[in-house]
Parts: sequence; C-alpha cells; structure tokens
Amino acid sequence: MSIQKRIAIYGKGGIGKSSTASNVAAACADEGYTVMIIGCDPKSDSSITLLGGKRIPTILDLLHEEKDVKEEDVVFTGYNGVKCVEVGGPEPGIGCAGRGIIVAIQTLKKISKTLNEMDLIIYDVPGDIVCGGFVAPIRKGLVKEAYVLTSGEYMPLYAANNICRGLAKINTPLSGIICNSRSVSHEKEIVTKFASEIGTDLMAFIPKEQIVQDCERDGFSVMEKAPDSSIAQVYRDLAKAIMQRDTSVMPVALDDEHLRELTR
Amino acid sequence: MDKNITIIHPRPSSIVASLYTLRDLNVDVAVLHGPPGCSFKHARLLEEDGIHVVTTALDETGFVFGGHDALVNVLHKVNEMFKPKLIGVVGTCASMIIGEEMHEPVMEADLDVPVIEVEVHAGYRNNTKGVIIALESALDVGVIDKTEFERQRALLEEATNVELRHGAASREYLAPSRGDVKYKVAQRIIELLKEGKRGLVIMNAKKETGYMFADITVAINEVAEQLGKADNIVNMANIDEKLGLPRVRHHAECIANDLKEKGVVINENIGGLDEYPIAGNTVDQLIKDKYSNFDFAVISGVPHAIPMDHISNMELISVTNGPRQVLPLKEMGHEHVIVEIDLHPKTLGVNHIVESEFGATLREVAKESL
Repeated sequence: MSIQKRIAIYGKGGIGKSSTASNVAAACADEGYTVMIIGCDPKSDSSITLLGGKRIPTILDLLHEEKDVKEEDVVFTGYNGVKCVEVGGPEPGIGCAGRGIIVAIQTLKKISKTLNEMDLIIYDVPGDIVCGGFVAPIRKGLVKEAYVLTSGEYMPLYAANNICRGLAKINTPLSGIICNSRSVSHEKEIVTKFASEIGTDLMAFIPKEQIVQDCERDGFSVMEKAPDSSIAQVYRDLAKAIMQRDTSVMPVALDDEHLRELTR
Repeated sequence: MDKNITIIHPRPSSIVASLYTLRDLNVDVAVLHGPPGCSFKHARLLEEDGIHVVTTALDETGFVFGGHDALVNVLHKVNEMFKPKLIGVVGTCASMIIGEEMHEPVMEADLDVPVIEVEVHAGYRNNTKGVIIALESALDVGVIDKTEFERQRALLEEATNVELRHGAASREYLAPSRGDVKYKVAQRIIELLKEGKRGLVIMNAKKETGYMFADITVAINEVAEQLGKADNIVNMANIDEKLGLPRVRHHAECIANDLKEKGVVINENIGGLDEYPIAGNTVDQLIKDKYSNFDFAVISGVPHAIPMDHISNMELISVTNGPRQVLPLKEMGHEHVIVEIDLHPKTLGVNHIVESEFGATLREVAKESL
C-alpha cells in the first residue's frame, strides 16, 4: 500500500467544504483508492451525499447514550466503498463542540482498524479554527496536511488567511488552496494570487454550477448522480491532484491591508 | 509591588471563595455545577461546617453536550433529600468555559426555595472575585441588603490589597514554610513576660479561623497570669458581634463568650471577624495613641494587615495559618513567625475555641519554667 494520505479541509462556514470533501472522496474511490471521510461538524452532514441522503449515527450520539462504541457502530460504507464517519456533537448553543471533536477522534483512533487501512482519509472540519477542538485531528497526529477552501470573495479569503495563520501556528503544512467559485469578478485571478502569496498553489477552480445543488438535494454526490458532467471532471482532476501532491508549505498569512488590496 | 506579576504558586480558588461565602450566607445546600472532583477538598471540609455540598458530576459527555439536565435533576434531588431553605449553585471552570447558563435550569427546576446562582470559575486573578460574585447574586435574590453588600465589597477590595502588599499575592513565587520552632518562640514569650516586658496580644482573624487564633490569646493570658504579669498584657481582637454576615456574627459571639468564660478581657475590640483587612488601621491608631511604648506584640490571624508604622520598635511575634506568609512577614520585620498549619480544618463546624499547637506548646513550656 502507498503512503496513507491524511488531509483536512478547512474554510469559512458555508463555503462548500462538505460538498468538495464528499465529491473528492467519491472521485478517489472511483480511481480505486480506499477512502474514509470523517465529518467533524456537529451538523453531521459531511457524508450524507455519499449515503443516498441518509444520516448515520454519530460517535458522540453513541457516547452520549453511554454505549460501548464499536467500529461497526460508527463506520458506514457509502458510495463505491467510501467509509463514512460522523463525529456529531451538541445542539447549537449548548455544550462544547470543540471538546466533542477531541473525544470523538480519540474514540475513533482507539476502535477503528479501518482507519489504518485507507489510502486517503479526509477530515471535513467545520468553519474557522475557532478553538483547540477544531484542530484536534491535527494535534492528535491524525492529519498530516491541510487544504483550504475559499471563494474569491473578501470574507472567505479573510477566513482562509486566518486559517493559514492558525496552521502555521500549530506547525501544520498547507498543501494547497481550492477555489469553490461564487462567480465573482476576477475570481480565479484573485485566488491564484492569494495561493501564491501564501506560498502554495491553487489546486482547483470549481465553477459554480446548479448541478451540484441538484445532486445534493437528492442526497447524492455529483460523482454518483452526474458522473458525466463537466464539474464531475473537475472533482476528478482535483482528486488526482490531491493524491499526487507531494509538496506542502508552512503558510505565511498576509496582513489585513495586503489581503484587502488583493481582492480589489 | 507589581500588580502585573504572574504568580506561579497555587493560590486560593474563586470557586472555593464562593462556596465559603454561601456558607456564611447560611445556605443549606451548595451545588457545584461541574466535574465531580472540582474543589473536592474544600467541599468536604464545608460539610463539616454543616452545609451539604453536592456536584452535578459533569463527565466528558457533560462537557460536550452540556449539563442543563444534570443541574435540574440535582436541584430536584437535593430539594427532596435535604429540604433546604436556601440553595446556592456554583459554577466551575469546565461549566463556565462551555458556556453553561445556570438561570434556565434553576427556573426549570422551579423550587419553592430561593437559589443563589454564582457564575464563577477559578481563573480570576484574585479569589475575592468569587466572594463578590456570590454576594451580588445574594443581593439579587434579597438574601443580603445593599448596605451589607457595599460593606463587604469594600472589605474585599482591601483584603485583595493586603494580599498584594504583603501577602501570598505579593511575589511571583513564595515557597511554603513551617516558620520558626514553636518551642523556641514560646520560651521567648515567657522570657519577655518574666522580664516584666509589656506586650500586646492582637488577634486579627479571618472569620472562623478566630476559633483557633483566640486560643493563642487565651494561652498567653494564662501564662501571664501564672507569672503574675497579667497587668503587662493588653488584648485586642476583632470580635464585634454586630458586624458581618449572619454566620460570621455568630462566630464572634461564640468566641467572645468563650474568652469571657476563660477570664480573658479584650481591652480593645478592633472590629468584626470579617474586618481583618481594615482592622489593622484601628490597631495602628490605638497603638499610636495608647500603646506605643509596649515592648512586644503577638499578632495572630492576618498579621500582615497590621501596618508596621507604630510597631516596628517592638519585638514582633506573629502567628499565621499560611505557610507562604512566613517570608513576607519576616521581610516586614516580624522576628518570630510561626505557622498553625492545620488550623482551617479544625475550625470548621465548631462553636468553641479550639486548642492551637502554639497555645499548647506555650502552656507546656510555661509548666517547665514555673
């Protein structure tokens, strides 16, 4: 088996991390890789489009019920053999989702053999890095490289820049920037420049297409529902690029003024 | 004194300070909302003082999913088990960091008993913050009035200043010490008395600690009496029975009664048992006006709250229960500093003066030298 790739996808909330993560997971599975996707969002929707729109029991749900959690209780097989895990978490505004990620990751590490057998493990991490729990997969040594998803809009770029600062702080290499387009002006140019100034590359430019939404509404990834679409090819190319990627950098975050200048 | 220093020795916790304040407000039950081990030692000690201390026992799941239901359940349970007239709910680091809101569960529990909610954690620089938060909440539910609240707040501010000036918050690190050998210090006091020196015996105690510090006053008076030097002694103590929260006034009354019974006359009543941070100024003024020519002073309780202005020419013997207080006191100019190491556990749940190690030593040494 080749060296296991363990990546995390970060980015501003709502930017499309789960869509990208599940489509990349599906595309890699189509290429014959063994893949696991671990959703770290309390909403537990990272893997939903790989499971025909069905939700799976989360690690924290089971721990909350004080059950003795076994691998088969929390690792489910989705589209083309992709292993799906959801961390879960408390309802919004209650408890501590960050601590939840730490507890769930520790549990998974303890109970899952599959974790070691994968070619690719994707951690879909919610929002910005708001507290220590959200970098638990990295801190606990489960993630080796990070990708940051953004659009060319100012606020997602601002969040991406902050995340890069956080990654550098915790000594985690950045392997690339992915642009999930919102169809704003000069978007590719802006994000390419941002990636370059941060010290890395733009891995993919995912155009904004209705078909992604349509597939998600039906509970499927683009790879499963519309494999012949042009955007499926974009995900396929991104998946290949990620699997072949062997360079990463310690990102250097831009100062606020420079970042603002970049988006003008 | 640098207010910005980072103090690296462990210091009293604001959570524990809140618990003690609730006790002084005479709550019947205090619920710690947090992990089962939080404040364990003091929670146990407080049970000796007659209040029930329980915990919502939040575990890892509680941290992640919150402890709302656990708090509602514990409130119902304690109401049934202990039939309390007043309940306190106290936050902890864990519950406060995860953003637990205590008012909602208290409302949901809907008990026919007033509940003092104290949203506190142990991350405050000064533990007196825990007292203030508890008192603010007590004010809100009408357990204390505005006048008493303001009085307490002023005292606490001064208590914080006393600690910053010469107490455990005065230095980045203070090593604990057992102080001077009690036997030697006892010998020295007897020597001074025999020489006909005049001495001040000052108790400036913090609340219930007075039950043991008062024994030192009693012991010195007994020995002075045995040596025929009773007239050379002047006693001062902060045992005003009219000042402080209900339980604190009760302590003053009990100590005053015991002193009276033992024939000890307190020549100068220097304030309430919660006035240890400001009673030092009264002592200073009294010495300046009436006792400046005394030869020695034995100061127990919070000796570092007594200004050095008019005692620096006296031989000073201080008795503290804080092992980290030895060095600051020595540096202030106290020649002999002794520590009553296990004072606090012995003064909880009592209504009478309890024997101190130094008092016992002094009595024994006196027997040998008479």
